[in-house]
Amino acid sequence: MSRRPQLPPLTKYAGKRLTQSVLTVFLTVSTVFVLIRLAPGDPARAYAGPFATNEQLAEVRERFGLDQSILSQYWTFLTGLFQGDLGTSFSYQDSALSVVLDRMPYTITLATSAILLTTIVSVPLGVWMARHADSRRELGANVLTVAGQSMPEFWTGVMLLTLFAVLVPILPASGFTTWGGLVLPTVTVAILQIALISRMVRREMVNNFASPYLTVARSRGVGERALTWQYAMGNAAVPVITALGTRFAALLNGVVVVEVVFAWPGVGSLVVRALETRDYPLIVATVLVTSVLSVTVQLLIDLLYPLLDPRVRLGKATS
Amino acid sequence: MKLLEVEDLQIELMTEAGVVRAVDGVSFCVGEGETVTLIGESGSGKSTTAMGVLRLLPAGLAVLSGRVELAGKDVIADPDSIVDVRGRSVSLIPQDPMTALNPVFTVGRQLAGAVRTRHPELSRSQARDRAAELLDSVHIPDPSAQLRKYPHQLSGGMLQRILIAIALAGEPRLLVADEPTSALDVTVQAGVLDLLLELQERTRIGILMITHDLGVARVVSDRIHVMKAGRFTESGEVEDIVERPQTEYTRKLLAAIPQLDAPSTTAPETPAGQNVPKQESPTPAPPAEAPAASPAEPTATTLKPEDARRPAGATGLSAVPGTATTATTAARPEGARP
Repeated sequence: MSRRPQLPPLTKYAGKRLTQSVLTVFLTVSTVFVLIRLAPGDPARAYAGPFATNEQLAEVRERFGLDQSILSQYWTFLTGLFQGDLGTSFSYQDSALSVVLDRMPYTITLATSAILLTTIVSVPLGVWMARHADSRRELGANVLTVAGQSMPEFWTGVMLLTLFAVLVPILPASGFTTWGGLVLPTVTVAILQIALISRMVRREMVNNFASPYLTVARSRGVGERALTWQYAMGNAAVPVITALGTRFAALLNGVVVVEVVFAWPGVGSLVVRALETRDYPLIVATVLVTSVLSVTVQLLIDLLYPLLDPRVRLGKATS
Repeated sequence: MKLLEVEDLQIELMTEAGVVRAVDGVSFCVGEGETVTLIGESGSGKSTTAMGVLRLLPAGLAVLSGRVELAGKDVIADPDSIVDVRGRSVSLIPQDPMTALNPVFTVGRQLAGAVRTRHPELSRSQARDRAAELLDSVHIPDPSAQLRKYPHQLSGGMLQRILIAIALAGEPRLLVADEPTSALDVTVQAGVLDLLLELQERTRIGILMITHDLGVARVVSDRIHVMKAGRFTESGEVEDIVERPQTEYTRKLLAAIPQLDAPSTTAPETPAGQNVPKQESPTPAPPAEAPAASPAEPTATTLKPEDARRPAGATGLSAVPGTATTATTAARPEGARP
C-alpha cells in the first residue's frame, strides 16, 4: 500500500506541460507574425516619412525584406529564430531582441514589486474581510475594493503624481533613476490588483470558514488562529496563488498605460512605439519575450500545485 | 453525574426568510455511560440542538438562550468557556466523514494535533505514537501507514473511524454524535455503531446521539427524545417509545419504517453491499447472523487512560459488546432503508 514511487508521474506531468508551453509560445508568435502583416499600415511609409517618393519606399521595403511574400518572410524569420536572431528593429536599427531585452528588467522590476505589494496587502485584507464578512466594519473595506476596481489606472496614476510629486513633492514624477521612482508606478499598478485579489481571498476564506472540516476542527479545540492561517489558508492557497501568478504573468506583458503615464522605460511603452511605427521585428520580439516569460510563470505555478494540494500530487481516486 | 444538562434551550436562526425558531425550549440531560438520542425528521432542530450545545453555530446568525451546562460550565451565559471544553471534555463525531477532515493535511497531522490539544506537554513523536494507538483502538489496521495518508485516500467507513479516534484524542467525557452513520454504507454503519457501544462500555463515556433512524436509536439509546418543529413531542426510555408510543407523530415515525418486525423479508438489500469500500472487510453480509462484525473478539485493552478511572462495576468487557452486536445485527434491516 506504500505510495512512495511518485516521481515518474510528476516528471511526466512536467514534461507534458513543458511541451505545451513551447507550443503555445510558438503558435502565439507565428500568429502575431502573420496578423501584424495583414493589418493595415505600412512600415516603409512610417520609416521613410510622409513625403517619401515611391522609389524611396520601394528601396526601404527591399532593405527590410518586405517585398517578399509573407510565407518567405516567415521562413526567414524561422531560420533566424533558431539562431536566436529575431531580425533588426526598423526604428532602432538594432537587434530587435536586444532592444526588448534592454527594456525587460524595468518591466520585471515593476511587475515584481507590484505583485509583492499586492500579496502583502491583499492576503491580510481579504482574511480580515472574511472574518468580518457582512459586518458593518467590512462595508468600508468593501467600498474601497470596489473603488479600487473601478478607478482607471491612468486616473489613479495622474492623481498620485499630482499628490506626491507636485503638491507634496516627496517622490519623483517619472523615470527610474532612483528607487523612489518605483513607488508611484508600483502603487498605481497594485491598487487594481489588490482590489481584485483581496476580494478573491475573502471569497475563498469565507467558503472555507463555512466548510464542515473547519467546524469539526473547531469542535476538537483547534484555535481560531490555526483555523484561519493553517486550515482555511492551506485550502485557499491554491486558487489564490493561481490568481496571483496569472496577474503577475499579465503584468510581465507590460503595463502600457502606467508606463506611459510615468515614462517608465519598460516593455509596455516599447510596444506602443513599435505599433505606431509598424516595427514588425520589434513587435514580434516583444511578443516572443513576454509570452516566454508569462508561460514560464504559468508553468511554475502548475508545478507548484502538487506541493500545495495532495489531491493533485497523489491522484484523486485511490483505492 | 450529569455530563450535559440542557434547560429550556431556545435557538433562533437568522435566515433570509427572517428569524426562525429552530429549537423551542428543550430540556434534557446526559449522564456518564448513558446514550441519549434526539430523533426526528429533517428540519426538526435536532442537529441545531447538538451544534448549539457545542456553540458551533455561526455567531452572528444564531441566538441561543436558556441554560446549557457542559462539564460544569454554562456555555450560554459564558460563551468563551466553550474553548476550554472542546476537544477535552466534549468531542463531536460529525455527520459526513468525507468532508469532515482538512483535505490538505494528513490524517496523522490532524489526529496528532488533537492529541496535543489535550496534552500540550507531549512531543511530536509522542503525539504520533499516541495517534497510532488511538487508530488501533478503533480497529484500523496498520495504523502507522494510515497516519501518513490524506483523507481523500480513505473510504467513508475508515474516515469515520478516524474521526472517532480524533474525538477520543481529547479523552472526552461526552461525545456528541451528529448522525454519525447517515453518510455511510449500510454494512459499514453497523461496524461504526458497534464501535461506539464498545467504547462506551470501556470508558463510560456519555453520548448525545442525533439521528433520524429509529433502527439506530433503538440499538444505542438509553433514552429517546422525539423532536418535531423544535420541540420534544415525546420523551422516554427506549422500550417505551418503540413499544408503546404515546403520540401520533411517534407512531407515524415508527410506521414510516417498513418491515420493522419482519427482518427476514429484506434480503434483496444485498446489492447495496457491493460498493462497500474494501477496507471494511470485517463487515458481514446484511441480514445473516453475523458475529464477524463484533469488536468483542479479543479487544485491545490498551485503549485509554480513562480505563483506569472506570468504575469497578463496569468491567463487563466481553459480555456487553457481544449483546450490542446482536442487537445491531437484528436492527440492521431497518437501517437498510434509506
